[in-house]
Amino acid sequence: MPKPLTILCAVLLAVMLASCGEDEQPVKVSLRKRNEVAVKLPEPAITYAYLPQYSHSESFQRHQQLVAYLAEETGLPIRQVFPETFTEHISMFGRGKIDISFSNPFVYVNLASQYNAKAMTRIIEEDGQAEFRGQIIVRRDNESIRSPEDCRGKSWVAVDPASAGGYLFPLGLFVDHGLNLRDFKEVVFSGGRQENVILGVYAGLHDFGTIREGSLRVLANKIDIDQLKVVATSRSYPGWVYAYSPRLPKEAVDKIKAAMLKLDYAHNPKHRAILDAARFIGFVPSDDRDFDPIRELNRKVGLAGE
Amino acid sequence: MNKDLFKRLYSLRFRTKIILGMALMLICSGLTIGLFLSAMSSRALLDEGKKRGMALTSGLAFRLAEPLLAMDFLRMKNSIDNNFDQYDDVLYIFLTDTNGNVLSHTFSGGFPSDLLKVNTDSRGPQPLLLGTERGAVYDFNVSVILGEQTLGSVRLGLSRDNMDAQIRQQRLIILICTLGVVSLGIVLALGFARTVTLRLNRLRESAEEIVRGNLNVQVGSPLEKNCWDIMECGRTDCPAHGDLRQRCWYLTGTLCLNCQDKAYPHKIESCRLCPVFRYNFGDEIQELAEVFDVMAVTIKRHIEELTEREKTIARQQGLLKTVMNVTPDFIALQDKDLTYRFASKAFCDYFGLSEDEMVGKTDSDIFAKKQAELHVREDRQILRTGRPLIKEITFRRLAGQHWFHIVKVPVYDQDGSIMGLLLAARDISMLKKIQEQLIQSQKMEDLGRLAGGVAHEINTPLGIILGYTQLLMDDTMDQEFLENLQVVEKQTKICRKIVSDLLGFSRHAQSVREAVDLNESLHEVVHLVKHAFSLKGIDIVQQLGETLPLLAGNKERLKQVWLNLLNNGADAIGRDGSIVVRSRQEPDGQIEVSVADTGPGIPPEHLNKIFDPFFTTKQVGKGTGLGLSVSFGIIKEHGGAISVQSPVPAEYLSDAVAPSGSSGPGAVFVIKLPTVQQGG
Repeated sequence: MPKPLTILCAVLLAVMLASCGEDEQPVKVSLRKRNEVAVKLPEPAITYAYLPQYSHSESFQRHQQLVAYLAEETGLPIRQVFPETFTEHISMFGRGKIDISFSNPFVYVNLASQYNAKAMTRIIEEDGQAEFRGQIIVRRDNESIRSPEDCRGKSWVAVDPASAGGYLFPLGLFVDHGLNLRDFKEVVFSGGRQENVILGVYAGLHDFGTIREGSLRVLANKIDIDQLKVVATSRSYPGWVYAYSPRLPKEAVDKIKAAMLKLDYAHNPKHRAILDAARFIGFVPSDDRDFDPIRELNRKVGLAGE
Repeated sequence: MNKDLFKRLYSLRFRTKIILGMALMLICSGLTIGLFLSAMSSRALLDEGKKRGMALTSGLAFRLAEPLLAMDFLRMKNSIDNNFDQYDDVLYIFLTDTNGNVLSHTFSGGFPSDLLKVNTDSRGPQPLLLGTERGAVYDFNVSVILGEQTLGSVRLGLSRDNMDAQIRQQRLIILICTLGVVSLGIVLALGFARTVTLRLNRLRESAEEIVRGNLNVQVGSPLEKNCWDIMECGRTDCPAHGDLRQRCWYLTGTLCLNCQDKAYPHKIESCRLCPVFRYNFGDEIQELAEVFDVMAVTIKRHIEELTEREKTIARQQGLLKTVMNVTPDFIALQDKDLTYRFASKAFCDYFGLSEDEMVGKTDSDIFAKKQAELHVREDRQILRTGRPLIKEITFRRLAGQHWFHIVKVPVYDQDGSIMGLLLAARDISMLKKIQEQLIQSQKMEDLGRLAGGVAHEINTPLGIILGYTQLLMDDTMDQEFLENLQVVEKQTKICRKIVSDLLGFSRHAQSVREAVDLNESLHEVVHLVKHAFSLKGIDIVQQLGETLPLLAGNKERLKQVWLNLLNNGADAIGRDGSIVVRSRQEPDGQIEVSVADTGPGIPPEHLNKIFDPFFTTKQVGKGTGLGLSVSFGIIKEHGGAISVQSPVPAEYLSDAVAPSGSSGPGAVFVIKLPTVQQGG
């Protein structure tokens, strides 16, 4: 047979083999063999909850390392739980579903007054302060709002009625400037999410929004935060607080408190990583008296905090 | 068997071969492309299905992170069911935590625990193909991850049946398309093969016509527009104008500016830019057909030229042959081996051979051995040196002495080497004879001058001797002395006569010129000797022209000539014979007088000497040998010429001369004299 014909036949054969090749072999599995499955209940543990001002994912990612550290450091089983709303957080605390609550000072004042929660530690914010403030934000191109007074008759989006930085501190500021809730076109709550407030103002759905100081940075990688500006900032109030349930044994409280205060942001890289994830840089010891200014604010804005 | 197959394939018609070849090619390429496309599209569809499954699972895993953290089983179930209900080909979805506990699933009536044993690691290659009772299923495992923490796994089962159905449909479409394209290709191949073979067949038929001798073929199709239509040149004197058989780019001398008076193929480069070429130029087969037409025309023209040249050559050959046949010269051509390759007719006739017989012969075949050897030696020398040979040869034959002037020259071929030699030989016997006569005439003139000088010197002493002898005779009384003196006187007178004759021969004697009637002078002399000759039985026949013009001369001296000639004839005859005296005017105006006898004739060797002074064949004392010399001198003095011939040509002997047993070949003296007008 002449060479070209042989080559042609070989090429054709190769092409056919290549095209017909089926290299996947299935693994035999029966779908008919059925068993009933039941979800196993988790092991009993100290429950730790972060006031749900962010999504569960964000909360988890921020506190998961800290929870693991505390469990390891104290030798106690500690598990993070995720209440859906501020109300649920308070309710779960009351029902004993949350042993350690990380909440803003208003919620704490509520928890303390309703369920006898005790302040354990306060956090040191990334700016080095153990206090924090609320901010009024508008779109940069919104020329009509330059001061708190300009917010009169405008649409306001706040984080949650129970949010300190995202609602109550700015409300105190408005009261100081002679405005009360009736002076706004509307007051809308974003379901406890700082991000929703920022996105609502960014999208132009609302004229201004109120957030906790520092929240803008959370969205720095997702939106152009230069499109937004801060019109006014409230006075400083004591920051977020760790409170424990009166049902929690004292030894456990001490161990946890000691573990928290042991975290050294400046000198221990492991601790630094834990605290970086949680977005603060340390703890200071705290007790209930630290929150009297909040109780004062409550009275000012008409909340029955006590 | 293979050989038979290939032989059978080889012997197929060209059209069948094209169709078969193209069909095979189309089927092979269609099959190859179809299979390739099919394989590629199958893979693409499968990949697409896998990507879709992966995207579904990943999306679900992302959405399930929050409910998983919150342990919100309702949201988990809703999310899973939502996806499950949305897509028919999703067979199952379930969610497990990090411990492998199934948190939520889409199965009803229990959970198939086998699924928990396979594809447990989401980092392994995804998806995993499972063979189940519901057919092949792609099982996707995607971890629910937050940060670096894995919260659980989502598993999704995607049926492969849908993908397989799509792949089958795709393959069917590709198969139909491929078949369609191949069929269309085969139809086109049929058309193409027909077009090609049609034109090739025309070429073949035309070639066969040419083989049969018909050169008036045209294969190229007629043009839609000819060059003169396209260029609108109106040049009817252009060779391309009106030529429907040849394209203008094949013609020489076309008048377009672009053509630049070049011939094909040198003009083709400029022709490629010409609008005519662009409009009329076709594919290779059309080009072949057009070149074929040009070839046919060119062959025809060349054949016509060759025929014409053949005729010319034949004509020239005929002329050459005629020349060779007619020329009396011997011309022969020998090759390097000295074999005769050509010989003129005269040469062949000389050797008694035909021209065909002569060709191929050598000198040894036609010459005597000795002579042939001589020729071969000479010829070899010419071939070796290249120097021509010129010589004269003589030999005796029955007809007499022959002379030949021979020239042999080397013949060179185109590269300058000697290829043979040419022999040219001419019979110069006649020339030689005339040369001898010329020499003789010169000799006679010299002799005459010598004799005249001597006679002049001797004449005076002879006069003195005669005078003194006659004085002594008058004075002597002695009878004996007187008789002696008489002898001296007589001999002296004889001497004077001889001297007088010699002077006559040498024209030294003064003579008076007058108009002479030749016939009268002849009459007078014949009358004088007739009686005496008749006594010896010699008859004189006179045939004198009646209207001869007068000539300028000396009558007495001419009579002496006639007398000498008659005496000479009578002396030659001796007894019983005839002498014919004839006079007539020649067409050139000269008067010819001939005196012919029937004597024994003159031997050839004496013919050249007969006019020499003192030459005689008579006995001593019978003649002085000056008679003919004197006659020669007198005729020359008259501006004429005398010659002798023996034997006598018949025309000089009258019919009146009766044949006689004693008559010999005879001799005739012919005298030619100018008339008065000619002599001036």
